[in-house]
Amino acid sequence: MSFQQKNVAVTLSSFSLILIFFSVRVYQLIQQENFTESNLFWLWGIVIFMAVVVTIVAMILTHTTSTIFEVFRTGNKHPEIEDFEDERDKLIDLRGTKITYTLSSLGVFVAMLTFVFGQPPLVMFTLLIFFGLLAQVIGDITRLLLYQRGI
Amino acid sequence: MATGRIRNNIRTLRFHHDEMTQQDLAKQVGVSRQTIIAMEKDKYSPSLELAFRIAHVFGVPLEEVFSYEPEG
Repeated sequence: MSFQQKNVAVTLSSFSLILIFFSVRVYQLIQQENFTESNLFWLWGIVIFMAVVVTIVAMILTHTTSTIFEVFRTGNKHPEIEDFEDERDKLIDLRGTKITYTLSSLGVFVAMLTFVFGQPPLVMFTLLIFFGLLAQVIGDITRLLLYQRGI
Repeated sequence: MATGRIRNNIRTLRFHHDEMTQQDLAKQVGVSRQTIIAMEKDKYSPSLELAFRIAHVFGVPLEEVFSYEPEG
């Protein structure tokens, strides 16, 4: 598994966990009839903060574990990590991003539809965040599939 | 639009160049080892520029490295 693949796998795991956390928390708020602005704003804050921090931490973790693994594999104390993006990585990333943007656009459309059905703005914003996270997860799954299957 | 497959002889050419490693070839053409592996398994068709760089490393014309097989 290349460095870029590991990076995508780590991002996929972290964003899947964030998506699960967000969905469960929204479900709990609805069940407890606490689906209010203040609770939801708090949840958005946590999710956005987690997404930023997790991405940075995941990047550092991938780099560190790759270096340790290479030291053990090669016996070289200063191993060369192939952490650059070559043309294949860029092409795969482009296709993954295309899927992510398509799903995000679909999410925006669905979120806007809630207005048509007379739902409050809170529902729209919740759906926006949900589809944003889902699009990221599906995009990462596509990237991993393309790495495995080839392009 | 008709599609086909691009095949390559990279594995054979590496063998004839003193068993050049995938890592060495990757380094010389400026891609990762995983990309060379993907090309050898016919899972990735390189850009024209990369194809020329690979042919240049082996010192052979492009058509000795890559061949096109039309479908059907």
